[in-house]
Amino acid sequence: MRGFSTVLVERADLATGTTGRFHGLLHSGGRYVVKDPKAAQECLAENVALRRIAADSIEDTGGMFVTTPIDDPGYADQFVQACIATGIPVEEIPVAEALRREPRLNPQISRALVVPDATVDCWQVVWSTVRSAAEHGARIFPYHEVVKVTRDGSRVTGALVRGPGGDEVQIRAEVVISATGAWAGRIAAMAGCKVNVLPGKGIMVAMSHRLVNTVVNRCESPSDGDILVPIHTVSVIGTTDVQVADPDDWSISHAEIDQMLEAGENLVPGFRAARALRVWGGVRPLFQDDLPAQSRDVTRAHAVLDHSDRDGVERFLTIVGGKFCTFRLMAQDAVDAACTVLGTQRPCRTADEPLPDSADGRFYWMGSRLARREASLHDDQLICECELIQRGRLEDAMVQRGTANLDDIRRILRLGMGPCQGGFCTFRATGILHQAMKLSASEANRAMLEFLQERWKGVQPLLHGDQLRQAWLDNWIFQGVLDVEHLPGMAQTREHAPV
Amino acid sequence: MSGRAGDGRMADAVVVGAGMAGLTAGVRLAEAGLRVVTVAKGLGSLRLAPATVDILGYGPDRVDSPARALAAFVAAHPDHPYALVTPGVLAKSVNWLKERVNTYAYLGDPEVNMLLPTAVGVPRPSAVVPETMAGGDIRALKHVAIIGLRALKDFHPALVADNLRASAVSGGAAVEARSIMLNPPTGGEADVGTLAFGRRFEEAAFRSAVAAELRAALHDEQAVGMPAVLGFDHVGSVWTEFQEAVGRPVFEIPTIPPSVPGVRLARVLQERLRRAGGRFVLGAQAVGPELRSGKLVGVRIRTAARETVRAARSVVLATGGLASGGIEVDSRGAVRESVLGLPVWGRPSGAEPGFLPRYLDEHPMDSVGVRVDRRLRPVGPGGEPVHENLHAAGAVIGGARPWREKSGDGISLSTGYLAAGAILEDAE
Amino acid sequence: MIDESLPGFIRGSLDHCVKCNICETACPVMNVTPLFPGPKYEGPQAERFRTPGASADDSIDYCSGCGICTLVCPQGVKVAEINSRARATMKQQRGIPLRDHLLARPSVEGRLATPLAPLANLALSNRGIRLLIEKTLRIHRQAPLPKFAGLTFQGWARRHQPPPTDDAVVYFHGCSTNYFQPELGVQAVAVLEHNGFRVLVPPQDCCGLPLQSNGIFDTARSYVSRLARNLAPYARQGYKIVATSTSCGLMLKREALEILGMEDDQDLRVVSEQTYDICEFLADLDEQGRLRSDFNSLPITVTYHAPCQQQSHLIGKPALDLLDLIPELKVIELDRACCGIAGTYGTKREKYDVAMQVGAGLFGDIRDAGPDLAVCDSETCRWQITHGTGRESVHPVEILHQAYGLGSRARRK
Repeated sequence: MRGFSTVLVERADLATGTTGRFHGLLHSGGRYVVKDPKAAQECLAENVALRRIAADSIEDTGGMFVTTPIDDPGYADQFVQACIATGIPVEEIPVAEALRREPRLNPQISRALVVPDATVDCWQVVWSTVRSAAEHGARIFPYHEVVKVTRDGSRVTGALVRGPGGDEVQIRAEVVISATGAWAGRIAAMAGCKVNVLPGKGIMVAMSHRLVNTVVNRCESPSDGDILVPIHTVSVIGTTDVQVADPDDWSISHAEIDQMLEAGENLVPGFRAARALRVWGGVRPLFQDDLPAQSRDVTRAHAVLDHSDRDGVERFLTIVGGKFCTFRLMAQDAVDAACTVLGTQRPCRTADEPLPDSADGRFYWMGSRLARREASLHDDQLICECELIQRGRLEDAMVQRGTANLDDIRRILRLGMGPCQGGFCTFRATGILHQAMKLSASEANRAMLEFLQERWKGVQPLLHGDQLRQAWLDNWIFQGVLDVEHLPGMAQTREHAPV
Repeated sequence: MSGRAGDGRMADAVVVGAGMAGLTAGVRLAEAGLRVVTVAKGLGSLRLAPATVDILGYGPDRVDSPARALAAFVAAHPDHPYALVTPGVLAKSVNWLKERVNTYAYLGDPEVNMLLPTAVGVPRPSAVVPETMAGGDIRALKHVAIIGLRALKDFHPALVADNLRASAVSGGAAVEARSIMLNPPTGGEADVGTLAFGRRFEEAAFRSAVAAELRAALHDEQAVGMPAVLGFDHVGSVWTEFQEAVGRPVFEIPTIPPSVPGVRLARVLQERLRRAGGRFVLGAQAVGPELRSGKLVGVRIRTAARETVRAARSVVLATGGLASGGIEVDSRGAVRESVLGLPVWGRPSGAEPGFLPRYLDEHPMDSVGVRVDRRLRPVGPGGEPVHENLHAAGAVIGGARPWREKSGDGISLSTGYLAAGAILEDAE
Repeated sequence: MIDESLPGFIRGSLDHCVKCNICETACPVMNVTPLFPGPKYEGPQAERFRTPGASADDSIDYCSGCGICTLVCPQGVKVAEINSRARATMKQQRGIPLRDHLLARPSVEGRLATPLAPLANLALSNRGIRLLIEKTLRIHRQAPLPKFAGLTFQGWARRHQPPPTDDAVVYFHGCSTNYFQPELGVQAVAVLEHNGFRVLVPPQDCCGLPLQSNGIFDTARSYVSRLARNLAPYARQGYKIVATSTSCGLMLKREALEILGMEDDQDLRVVSEQTYDICEFLADLDEQGRLRSDFNSLPITVTYHAPCQQQSHLIGKPALDLLDLIPELKVIELDRACCGIAGTYGTKREKYDVAMQVGAGLFGDIRDAGPDLAVCDSETCRWQITHGTGRESVHPVEILHQAYGLGSRARRK
């Protein structure tokens, strides 16, 4: 938008790092208001800006901070004071009203404070942003991994990237910005620089339907399992915080999952008997120049690092830290720094110019997919029933993305993200993909098996109750009826399927 | 049907569950003159299944003859339900079923597996299959057209054909396969499911229209494979007439649920139960045993406003495994048999995970279930039957990996048959 | 299993859906028309997209409320209950037509029309008037509407001297017996008295089922509440409450609690536990050896159709066990899901054809069987069966009454 010719590379599909792995909360700032007021204010300002520019990706659910029986009753007053001081709108409502709005909420709560939390579909925002970037001339290359940051003496000249076929491409640039989050240390090292990122792993559990329609936070200083987020058709309970050494290599323990279910039970009685869909982890990109005692204490504010000062390497910037809700501001700061490096000042317009699809300023409405299906009940086929995805939309997405990977489609449409976790739609989508993308049988088979594996990855750690019944029905469908484990060329496919 | 007036209304047998195992046991008992009450919390899994009788397909290698492979398979899997079953019993139970299915015929027997294409085009071993499907046996196919119906999203003929062409069958060449997409008259509806097509095919005019379009599109293919939607109770005449109109043998390929062939079989068995005087209490969930002085005298069931007891001399537990909720796992990983609280075997111990990271692995939890003695009575830790008059049948019995082995129907049919046999022996 | 005492039990049951489609194999409406995308779609699937506020539902209007989906679901999803609530929300938003208000209040119509019964019946059988009604109110001109009896069962009960026996039961007669078919009530009382019971008939009014099925939940709640208040004192004393209208009995047993969310109504809870369908009650008596078996031979052929709502009692088909006791009676059990009427559903102009298609299989089976009588526990089904086949249709109790020799049936005109 500022007139620079730009190339974006990402080693996998867009937003598969930390961005695609959080719970979808668009902060009011309330979470940080007591401990980190600066971060809280930033959040609030960006919350307002994002509502302006990305309304289509945002659902105005509203939020509540509630004092549950295990919370410090004194925190609520502190919270209110801090909100007032930082300018975060807060309103106390009677407990009875909170329970009227959210009948599944723990009836033992003692206080309820309403704040302007919302939820955001990260992939929709990312792809909308990318579309806008492309419209302004940017070129976007997912599945292109940086293997080398090229230098000419102390000056960075670009990057060598490896594409999905294994071929390598040299990209030359006047300035390179690393926006690699938890992997920033690795990329910086490629350029001979040091960035100290502490990956903080957190897990989240998605429950199969909305147990609440408002974001519910525990009114307590930030701790594990203190938030329940209604995002699209599911509710997500999160999260934990465990420092890990490698942002790619971490595991999910039984104890953590149990902790999340208990946390859910505290907010919504009967949570443990409700249907837990899947579990996943994300890694927070916590940046700290000094090492703190506990990673949660590290500031969630972001930083732009100009490596010419820090490491003597020129034309290389790293934007690190931050939270999803401040992404726009982070980008603005990073590009401002790039302008400085390039010796030209150009103003940022992203705070005011709406993204494509958000021009009318209308927020996302949960009923929209149902309304859309109702309008075309007889004209189009329902392929993913759980998430109400019709065939026309699916085919368009496949062709536009130009992908033979069903997981890429999943991210933009939510294919397979509902209760049956692909039990019924995987087979249909494979048949459609096979035709729409003119795939060979082995490519189609592989797409199906990889998608099945990908869906399995998230259900396997916590499979029980209703979801276990579902998984068993899905076994009967894929193995019993379709016999997919004996697809031709199966042995090779098994090797390729990622764990 | 009258004849049991005033003799005390205690049932001879309560059967819990109306899947293949439960209906087999129930029908066998009712036809022998016993007073049978079948209690089912819903309609059973038959409606989701292909209605082929899969006895043993993989053990883990592909099996050519289930009957001949049985002994070695059982030796390698001594805790498998097939340890209770001989080739003789398999054959008897299969014949029993064949005799009772009257809206279509079953072909084949436990001696030989056919190889039928699945809806993704994989040759799947199956021993006893509806006549409407048997023509798809790949061992005999050379050149085939696979057809789709445009409004049917659950069948993708191009994928089937492509995979069929790539499937090498040992000792033979791969099949020549081509796909054709037909445009049947659906009154403008773009999304028509298997059940709706099943009903349409029972209409002569619809059949003619489809056959005409198909006939015009065929070249020199020797046979036509299509999704299994050739009608319900009238499948026999629908299939025959359709084939005639097409001018080639037509074979059905089973689809993902809902399964038209599955509904056919379910209706046949339910009707047999009814005709034999069996009573069917639909929708009532069995919630526990009714005991008197420690003896099992019936089953407690949940009705609309209260719990009642269905008293019986014997009880058959055919509630299925993890898929149907006959065995449940809660959020803490506790495994239980959900109706009577029977001891469950096969669950991983301590810290061992129940499920492994790769989807197609053999997971420790695959084989959980109750264990039974030779009279199909669930046993406790010492091997003694929990109740003298309680028998189990079907997927609630642990020790198998039926969707992988392709053995589910064989297990349900033979154990249902045997459980009924044990009760009949007791009654003599 | 979700704890049933938790709020959100009905909605929460959607968690059990594994999309197996068994409900779709059984839904009688979906099987005849593409206007209704099916119970799985409307229930557990769409419910995930519903939030308080604007309703996106349109096609849910074609759900007939027969309840077969919940009945057949092997996973325990309360499909029909979810649908009922969603439909009520949709109707509240879109507005409820006058017609639905009228159809929902048979007791009001009963009270108004009973003194003018001959006139009312004449009007409702007049083609011209029915055409006018169809055009203005959109009640189909051929919809099987009942005739007002001119006297009420309540009136008869007030004059009736019960025998001085110790055992007593309460009779919940319902609007239909009271205003349209009081002789059914008379016969039910006779059968119960024959078996040694004194029948108590407390003051009572409509159970609110037609209000509920038309989405008028608030009024339905007040009706049920009032009825429960009237019956609760008897229930608390341990009296059983028997109902001849199987759908109204189900309303008290379960539907009001689950669909209207009246779990906190203590009167309703105690009434629910004590409510029995009359065939259920009599079959239980037989099981205890307390049912009189002095039946005369009845050498006729009857068909038996168990209405959807009778099956939803989850007690099997006790009527069959009772009919089995009658010598020489030939009973043909029919296997069809639904007659199509679904209470007031099939009377509506836009749904009449769907209802007749739903019932077509049943009508055909009855015609093929050629019975002397078609037996069925629900009054609206009996009207629909007669409408679709021309055959007379009776409640199982009427057969028992005749076989006991307690009087010949009054042939209805």
